[in-house]
Amino acid sequence: MLKIEHIVKQFGKVKALDDVSIRIDRGEFFGMLGPNGAGKTTLMNIIVGYVKADSGSVSFEDKLLSTAENGTRLNFGYVPQEISLYPELSALQNLKIFGSLYGLKKNVMLKSIDEVLELVKLNDRKKDAVKNFSGGMKRRLNLAASILHKPKLLLCDEPTVGIDPQSRNAIFEMLQYLAEQNITIIYTTHHMEEAERLCSRLVIIDYGKIIAEGSLSEMVNMLDKKETIKIKKHSELKSKIKTLESMGRLIEFDLEYELIPDVKFNKMSQLFYSLEELNIPQEFIELSRSTLEDVFLNLTGRSLRD
Amino acid sequence: MRIIYKLLVKDIVRFVNDKTALLLTFLVPAILIIIFGNIFSGNGGFPGVHVIFVNNSKSELAKTLETKLDSSEAIILVKNITDMESGKIINITVGRAVEEIKKGKISAAIIFPDDFFSDTSKSVKIKFFYDPKDQIESSIVQGSVQQAIMSSMPDVLPVLMQRKIESSIGYKKVKKFKEEMSGVVSEYFNVPVDSIYKKEDSLKLFSTAGANTNNFFSKLINIENSQVVGAEVKNPGVTRIVGGWAMMFLLFSLTGAATSLFEEKQEGSLKRLLCMPISRGNILWSKYIYSVLIGIIQLFVLFLFAYFLFDVEIFSNFFNLIIVILASAAAAVSFGMLITALSSSIAQANGIATLLIMIMSAIGGAWFPVSILPDWMQTISKLTITYWSVEAFLQVLWRGGDLTSISFNLIILVSVAVIVNTYAIFLFRKGKIF
Repeated sequence: MLKIEHIVKQFGKVKALDDVSIRIDRGEFFGMLGPNGAGKTTLMNIIVGYVKADSGSVSFEDKLLSTAENGTRLNFGYVPQEISLYPELSALQNLKIFGSLYGLKKNVMLKSIDEVLELVKLNDRKKDAVKNFSGGMKRRLNLAASILHKPKLLLCDEPTVGIDPQSRNAIFEMLQYLAEQNITIIYTTHHMEEAERLCSRLVIIDYGKIIAEGSLSEMVNMLDKKETIKIKKHSELKSKIKTLESMGRLIEFDLEYELIPDVKFNKMSQLFYSLEELNIPQEFIELSRSTLEDVFLNLTGRSLRD
Repeated sequence: MRIIYKLLVKDIVRFVNDKTALLLTFLVPAILIIIFGNIFSGNGGFPGVHVIFVNNSKSELAKTLETKLDSSEAIILVKNITDMESGKIINITVGRAVEEIKKGKISAAIIFPDDFFSDTSKSVKIKFFYDPKDQIESSIVQGSVQQAIMSSMPDVLPVLMQRKIESSIGYKKVKKFKEEMSGVVSEYFNVPVDSIYKKEDSLKLFSTAGANTNNFFSKLINIENSQVVGAEVKNPGVTRIVGGWAMMFLLFSLTGAATSLFEEKQEGSLKRLLCMPISRGNILWSKYIYSVLIGIIQLFVLFLFAYFLFDVEIFSNFFNLIIVILASAAAAVSFGMLITALSSSIAQANGIATLLIMIMSAIGGAWFPVSILPDWMQTISKLTITYWSVEAFLQVLWRGGDLTSISFNLIILVSVAVIVNTYAIFLFRKGKIF
């Protein structure tokens, strides 16, 4: 459906995107994961036509976007990272403006506005000025304004930035509902939990390059170890650090250590036995399956939040 | 106290880092003081108001007075003009002088008629035609004429007074009195009678102290004032200034409208528009047309207020007024678009706009007439849209000028709108705002 080929984009001396190629199929919930400044938003901006690539191409349904007529982009819905609404206008007025700019006829537009307001649960607040909305409500309306024209492809650029967990959850549910309606979704985030929860396939971007691509399970399978051990910090642990380091790769976090077991431990039970010998209480030990965070860490040596 | 100090340091650091605030704080007053200083300091800044001068009199007195007027710093006498048809330099006639004033090319004319001062005249006769389109300018011209005449009094007054006395008590009695007086002085000071007789003419035989000098003066100098333009205007004061102020407010509000692109960018709504199947040209032109419409409505409301509250006649020349409003709004919006395109933030755009609007208003004729500005400033003023717009408003409201009379102003304003806007759009496409 969407083919991104060899995109290069440079801002001054900084190479924001370096030979990026991605292929996204119809109906996919496709994630772009990477730390801040990795190049995710630049790639989004190039897809939606906000920024021009230095080289490379983007094609939608086999039509090159650089040469395709403006109408091709009518198939896109874009949820920008910013709240892209007119704050002094009501929700309804905002949606009417964007609906008319998408070229919807009046009756179609009004029906569509009702549907999207229902979806984002803002029907009862549609006449209120957007400036009086909470952050979560604004985010929901931001999404609503992007799907008025029923796009085939929805591009969401970190659509949950700065909102409470409840609102975030509500947006996730809406996006999942849209995905069920066979809308292809591209979703950028630097929260691996979001990518893990929503995306059927994803890429990890770092310093403008794609460093991994595949489904969540495919990515985790890239790791030598699929599980990690987390040991909560406590006063008696300090004296045992050296012994722990001999068991595998030990990474220190604020409240805990993460231990990626050495290959000599074929089975996790062997590792647990060794930990027991060190007299580390069981309540301080947690076994967790590897995440995208681990994948990123493994690939870059850095945490996603660094 | 330490907390206050720390907060003070915080404010100073923020101020120093805010380039726009720095610009407005120091540059605006500095530039305005330069402009005002040049106008009102009198240090060679004021070039004098140009006034047509026609001397049809052959009398010596007229020549003396002409020389006095010539040496006046406040007025510059224009005695001939280039004829547009023949291309030759010709002397100005009275009719031509009046015509030039009506066209707004000059604001006053001083005429010394044939009967300025004859052998039998008891007073000097001067005609003064003027267009009081601006009070300051009119006052300067009238004041300068009076000043020139007053400074000529030592030469003019004795002759006029002698004529006055002769007409009252008779030539023979005056002559006899002078001869007797000369004889007494000659005997007492032991000097020849001939040398005294001449001096006697300039003796102050009558003192004007304590008398009604205005009445006295007017009996000797007969100035026939004739307002050529604007005599029928109901409220000259407001009619004269309304165009200038309208243009200043227009520039402020329309620059704001154009810089609202920055607000839309900050809100994020501009990005959404740019990601929709809409061209950048569409966005810019819609913003341009919107701003022009706002400008037209704003000016129309302003003139309506002037009409209802101050009797400013706007409907007698309504079509031409609307044309000037349209052209001024188009040029003002282009100015705003250019500033927006050249700026990298809304604060910077507002700072530059404030600075330029103040300068344009000061030297473009919105606050005081351009003719009282120094020559170099008058040249610069013609580079401002304020000048062409204010002149066009004056032409329409004050002189009741037709479309032909404002055509040059309209061409300038529309050309500025087209050229500046095209350039602004070119910059927008390359600029930081998008």
